Amino acid sequence: MIKLTRVSKTYPPDVHGLKDITLEILPGEFVSIVGQSGAGKTTLAKLLIAQERPTRGTIEIGGWDITNIRSREVPVLRRQIGVVFQDFKLLPKKTVFENVSFALEVAGEPTKRINDIVPQVLRIVGLEEKGFRYPRQLSGGEQQRVVIARSLVHRPKILLADEPTGNLDTLNARDIIDLLQKINAFGTTVVLVTHNREVVNALRKRVITLADGRVASDQAHGKYLIS
Amino acid sequence: MFTTIVRVLKAAFQNIIRNAWLGAATVLVLILALASVNVLVGVNALLTRAVTILEDKVDVTVFFKPTANEALVKQARFFLGDLSQINTVELLPPDKALELFKERHKNDKEILDALAELDANPLGATIRVTAKNTSDYPFIIETLKNPQFADAIESKSYDDHKASIERVQSLADSARLVGSVLILVFVLIGILIVYNTVRVAIYTQREEIGIMRLVGASSTFVRTPFVFQGFALAAIALLVTAGIVAVGVAWIEPGLRPLYDGGDPGLREAFYGNGGQLAILEGGGLMLLVGLTSWAAVGKYLKN
Repeated sequence: MIKLTRVSKTYPPDVHGLKDITLEILPGEFVSIVGQSGAGKTTLAKLLIAQERPTRGTIEIGGWDITNIRSREVPVLRRQIGVVFQDFKLLPKKTVFENVSFALEVAGEPTKRINDIVPQVLRIVGLEEKGFRYPRQLSGGEQQRVVIARSLVHRPKILLADEPTGNLDTLNARDIIDLLQKINAFGTTVVLVTHNREVVNALRKRVITLADGRVASDQAHGKYLIS
Repeated sequence: MFTTIVRVLKAAFQNIIRNAWLGAATVLVLILALASVNVLVGVNALLTRAVTILEDKVDVTVFFKPTANEALVKQARFFLGDLSQINTVELLPPDKALELFKERHKNDKEILDALAELDANPLGATIRVTAKNTSDYPFIIETLKNPQFADAIESKSYDDHKASIERVQSLADSARLVGSVLILVFVLIGILIVYNTVRVAIYTQREEIGIMRLVGASSTFVRTPFVFQGFALAAIALLVTAGIVAVGVAWIEPGLRPLYDGGDPGLREAFYGNGGQLAILEGGGLMLLVGLTSWAAVGKYLKN
């Protein structure tokens, strides 16, 4: 599903984000990418959605080599990967319903289909009653659930969650992780980038630990090892 | 395709409504830019009209000798009338010239008494000529040096007015040049103001543009609503400015008439007469500028 081969990312003049990373994530896996700040977690996430290009190595997503993806192909890739961000990245001037439907509109989905799918997805994340509210009228946990709903509307094969619990309290964080596990149970590959020790240890899923831009460990049923 | 167009228009409309304050501020600056250009257009029209009135007051009078043959005088009139530089030619026969002379000096008893002493009309025919341009007078005077007419001509008023005519001509040339340069400068300043206003308006929405990209929107899908939004704001600014100008001209013009001898100061012709042309030039220019600037400004935030 996701294959990185000897991937390095260097920022000018000589800041190394990632160094010679090789890893493979299989379809249906739930993988946590952990590490301290500056370890390369966010760089890895940005490479997976083509927000950055690798300096060396190759990246494949679902058999598609996106190493040198063209600018006009980026939207197509992003419609196939659901992305959840720590800072939500919701459109503040659009309602909950519009934020979710926007992801389908950009793909040219028919209006009827949008009107069918969006309420379903909002029901999955428990926000069917709040479709006409604006993001500022929601709590942090609710905003993150809108983001998850938006990332699910394309029925993506991969869901990339970059620090999804970073801005949430323990209770909301647990809800979000439960939601991600449910999504994974339906067959979606989930890549969780986090530094939340409790979350990773509770999951008991595969954990890839990054340190100084390299893979420090890769455990099938791992724990958060960084002290 | 139709669905996409509808979505783009809907997004543009929502952007205008939901960013009403930003839109209002943008429209206000666009109005100021348009108004400053129109003020200069108005000032230029007033200046041009003043110069035209001044130019209209300039003429050359050719005084023929009393002995000049009537046929020769008429021939001179036709000759002058055929010149492309001539605006009007007016022939005063000797009797009419005498009548006007008496009228002009009706309070001067000595002159009237002297005239009464004479047996015959001492005045010859007179031709009054106005040129299309003040710069044409030297040429017209030169043509009258034609030996066919020169011997019959007593005098020409041009020599007395030469310095005044040259001053009027110089003033007219300077006024037109300064007016054109000022309009050009204000148009350039207006372009800079509009360009930066649109850039600032889009800068405030840069994060939203980035988010749209992250959820899979193509560059065109993100850009087009901003361009349509710009068109709509430009159209609103154009309409409001047109209203302000129309009301402004109607309000100011009567007050300016006394300065133009009760005549037309030229504002109505400049704005009402050329309204369509001005709207196309200013509106088209503004739309083009806003559209291109929006397209380019959004592009800056589409790189990720």
